[in-house]
Amino acid sequence: MDKELFHIFRNTPLGRETLMQSVHFCRKVGAYPVIYIPRSTKFLMYFENDVVQVDLDESYLSDPPTARRHAEEIVAEAGLKPVFFEPKHFTASTLPDIPTHYDYMCCPRSISDLSHKIGLGYIGPRVRRIVKSAHFPVLITSPAYKPWNGITVLFGGSNNAVKALRLGIQLCRQSGCEMTLFTQVEKNDPDHYEEVIRENNLEAEVAKYVKRWDRFDSGTLETNLYEVPHDNLVIMGAYGHGVIRDLMFGSKMERIQATITNNLLIVGPNYTARL
Amino acid sequence: MDRIKPWLKLTRWRFFRLDDRLLLILIAVIVGNCSGLSAVALNTSIDAMVEWLQPLRHYWWAFLLPAAGAAASSIFLEKIVREGAGHGVPEVIYAVSRYGGLLRFRSSFTRLISSCLTIGSGGSAGPEAPVVISGAAIGSTIARKFGLNERQRVTLVGCGAAGAISAIFNAPIAGMVFAVEVILGEWTTLNIIPIAIAAVSGTEISRILMGNRIAFTHQVFNIDFIDIAASVGLGILAAAASILLTRLLRGMSSLCSRTGGPTWLRAALGGCVVGAMGLALPDVLGEGYHTTRLMIHGLYAPGVTLVFILLMAKILATSLTLGWGGSGGIFAPCLAIGSILGLTFQRALMALWPGANMASEGCFALLGMAGLISGMLQAPLTGIFLIVEITGGWEVILPLIIISVISTTVCHYFEPASFYLKELIDHGHLLRPGTDARVLTDLSVPELLEKDCIVVSPTMRLGEFVDIVKISHRNYFPVEDPETGEFLGMVYLDDVRPYLFNPAMYDAVVIEEIMDTDVETVHPDDDLPDVLRRMDEKRLFSMPVVSNNRFRGMISKATLLDRYRRELAVQTS
Repeated sequence: MDKELFHIFRNTPLGRETLMQSVHFCRKVGAYPVIYIPRSTKFLMYFENDVVQVDLDESYLSDPPTARRHAEEIVAEAGLKPVFFEPKHFTASTLPDIPTHYDYMCCPRSISDLSHKIGLGYIGPRVRRIVKSAHFPVLITSPAYKPWNGITVLFGGSNNAVKALRLGIQLCRQSGCEMTLFTQVEKNDPDHYEEVIRENNLEAEVAKYVKRWDRFDSGTLETNLYEVPHDNLVIMGAYGHGVIRDLMFGSKMERIQATITNNLLIVGPNYTARL
Repeated sequence: MDRIKPWLKLTRWRFFRLDDRLLLILIAVIVGNCSGLSAVALNTSIDAMVEWLQPLRHYWWAFLLPAAGAAASSIFLEKIVREGAGHGVPEVIYAVSRYGGLLRFRSSFTRLISSCLTIGSGGSAGPEAPVVISGAAIGSTIARKFGLNERQRVTLVGCGAAGAISAIFNAPIAGMVFAVEVILGEWTTLNIIPIAIAAVSGTEISRILMGNRIAFTHQVFNIDFIDIAASVGLGILAAAASILLTRLLRGMSSLCSRTGGPTWLRAALGGCVVGAMGLALPDVLGEGYHTTRLMIHGLYAPGVTLVFILLMAKILATSLTLGWGGSGGIFAPCLAIGSILGLTFQRALMALWPGANMASEGCFALLGMAGLISGMLQAPLTGIFLIVEITGGWEVILPLIIISVISTTVCHYFEPASFYLKELIDHGHLLRPGTDARVLTDLSVPELLEKDCIVVSPTMRLGEFVDIVKISHRNYFPVEDPETGEFLGMVYLDDVRPYLFNPAMYDAVVIEEIMDTDVETVHPDDDLPDVLRRMDEKRLFSMPVVSNNRFRGMISKATLLDRYRRELAVQTS
C-alpha cells in the first residue's frame, strides 16, 4: 500500500459520499487516502510548468469542529488508517500550496467553477487544467457512493488512450477486476486499434485482462455509452487540447461525464503509466 | 488537421530554439512591452480616477471615498477574482524562490484594478508593487506558453518586473537594478542581458504612450562638503523613519487580522481613517507625487512643525491603507515620506544654523527619498539609481550614496529583513540562488530514497539474520510486521555485533528482542533542510523514511550530499 490518493474533504452529506468513494477506490487499488480539510476556499497547486488555483465553494468549510471526526470515521470504517494533510507552505496567508506528488487525486465534480452543477454536467476548467498538468490520474467520483466491481477503459487509439489502457491494466492487477474496452470507431480503420495495442506491446496484457471489447461503428457516443456497465470504474485519456477547440467542437470528456454516472479516472498528457 | 500541423510546428519557434539566449532576448522584448503597457494602463487609470473624483473631494463626506475604494478593492480581490491578498512583491519573490517563477495569469491584471481603486480613491499607496506583480505574472505566463525551463522562466519574471518599474518611473536602470537586486537576488550574464532589454522595452513603451517625461523635473543643486556631512544625519533619520514605517505596517496588519470581520469592512475602516486624516491634511492622500514635486522645487510653503506632522500622518496613512487591506505598494509612499523627511531635516538644520551654506530643501527632499527607499527595501543600488533617474540629477550622487548606504546599514541592524522579505525569511521561504536552503529545496526525500535495504521480520531468529547480514552491504535492517506490513523498528549492525559471533545465541535470540523501536524517522513530505538538521542534531548518518506506518526506504547523508553537489553544479552553471 504505497500509493497515495489526495482527497479534499467536504463536511457535508455530498462530501461524505465522495470520501466513501475515494476510500473504496483506495481499498480496491491498494492506496491510502491523504485527506485535506480546507480552512480557506482556495489553494494553489504548483505543477512543473503551471500553477493552478482551485476555488472551492463555501460548503467545504462547513462545520469545522466535526470535519476531522467525520473523515476519520469514514476512513476507519473501511479499515484504513486516516492520514491528514496540513499545508506547510503558503503563497499568501489564505492561499496554501498543495503538493503535487500524489499518485491519484480526487476532484469532486463541484470543484468546478459552476458549483451549483453538482450532479452531472460539468467538470470545469480548473479540473481540466489539473488533468492537463498533473503527473497523476484524477478521480472524478459519481455524485453518490457507487462501488465498482470492474473497469472499463475508453480506448480511442490516441496516446492518452494508450496511457489509460496501461493504467487500466495496472488497476486490474491490483484490484483483481476484469476489464471492458469501449471503442467508438470514428475515422480510423477498425484494425487500427489492434495495431496500436500491438505497437505498444500490450497484446498479452489485453488478452489476459480484457473480458470484452465493445466496438461501435454506428450511433452517437452518448447513445453507445449506455453499454458501459453501471458498476464499472471508467478510465479515459484526456485530450489536452485548448479552450478554443473545446468551445467550437465541445469536450469529449465533458460529454462523457455528463452522460454516465460512473466513477471516472482521467489520465492527462503528463501521466506516465508503467506496467 | 494534417494540413495544419506543419504550420503549428512553426509556432514552436524551432529556429529560435537553436540559440536559447537569442530566444530569451526576443521574449524579453515582448515581456518588457507587455509589462510597460500594464504600467501605462495603471498610471492612466489612476490619473483618470483621481480627476473623476476630484470634484467630490470638497464635500464633508469625502472621507468616505478612500473607504469605498479600499472596500471595493478588497471585494474585487477576495470575492470576484479570488486572489489572496498581499502587497505583490513578496509573492513574486516567493514564486521565484520556491517554484521557479510560476505565477498565476490572473495576477497580471487583478492587482492593477484593485490598486487603481485604492489609490485613485485616495488611499496612501503606490502603483509600483502592483505593476511589478503584473509584469512578473506576464513574464511567467509567456515563459509557460513558450515551454521555457525554470531558469529561463525566472529570468522572464525578472524581465517583467524590470519592464514594469522602468515604465512606471521612466527609469530603465532603476528597473534593471530592482529586478536583479530585489526580485532575483542573482547577478549573472544570463539574466542581466534579457532584463536590460526588457527594461529598455518597457521604458520605450511608456515614452511612446506617455511622453519622455521624468517624474520630478530636473533641478540643479550645488553640493558642498557640509551637505555631504549633513547627509549622514539624514541617513540615520531615514533609517529611523523606515523602521517606524515597517513596524507600523506590520503592526497594523496584525491588528487588522486580530480584529475579525469581513476583509472588505476592515479595509473600509482603514480607508475611513485615512479619509478623515485627508480632510485636515490633503497631502496624505494618494501616491503623494504632487506634494513631492512641490518639495523638490522648494515650493512647499507650510512651516517645519506642520511638515513634521505631515510626515507622521503620511507614515500612519500608509500603514492604515496597506495594513488594513488596501491594495498597493510602498514605493510611492516611501518617496513621499522621504521627501517630507528631507525637507523637515533641512528646515530644522537651517533653523538651528541660520547662516549655514547648505543646499536647497529640494536637494534634501531628494536625498530623503533615496534614504527611505534604501531603508525600506534594503536595496541601496535601487534607491540610488531610482532617484538619479527620476530626477535627472547626477550632481547629488555622492550624498545619495552616503544616505543610501547609511540608511540600509542602520535598518539592517534593527530590522535584519526588509519589508518585502521579512515574512518570507520568517517562514524559511527566501531561497536565493546558490544558497544551501535553495539547493536542498530543489531536492526532495522521495528523490533520495535508497530502496536496496533488506527487510526482516520480528520473529526471525538471530541465526537467519546472520545469513542475511552476509549477503547485505548495508549496516541497518528495517523490521516490518509480516502480516500488516507495518514498520516496527530498525536493527543496526553496531548494536547487535556482540551477539553475531556467538553461535549459542543464534537460536535463542529473535529480532524483536534486539531491534530498536524508538527510531527517528523521516516522512516523504519532510523538507530536506529539516532532515539534515535532525541528522546533525542526533549525529545520524541515515534515517528510515516511513509514511502511513510503512517503510519506504532509507535516506543517508552521503546520498544527500552527493545529490546536493550535483544540484549545486546545475544551479550555478
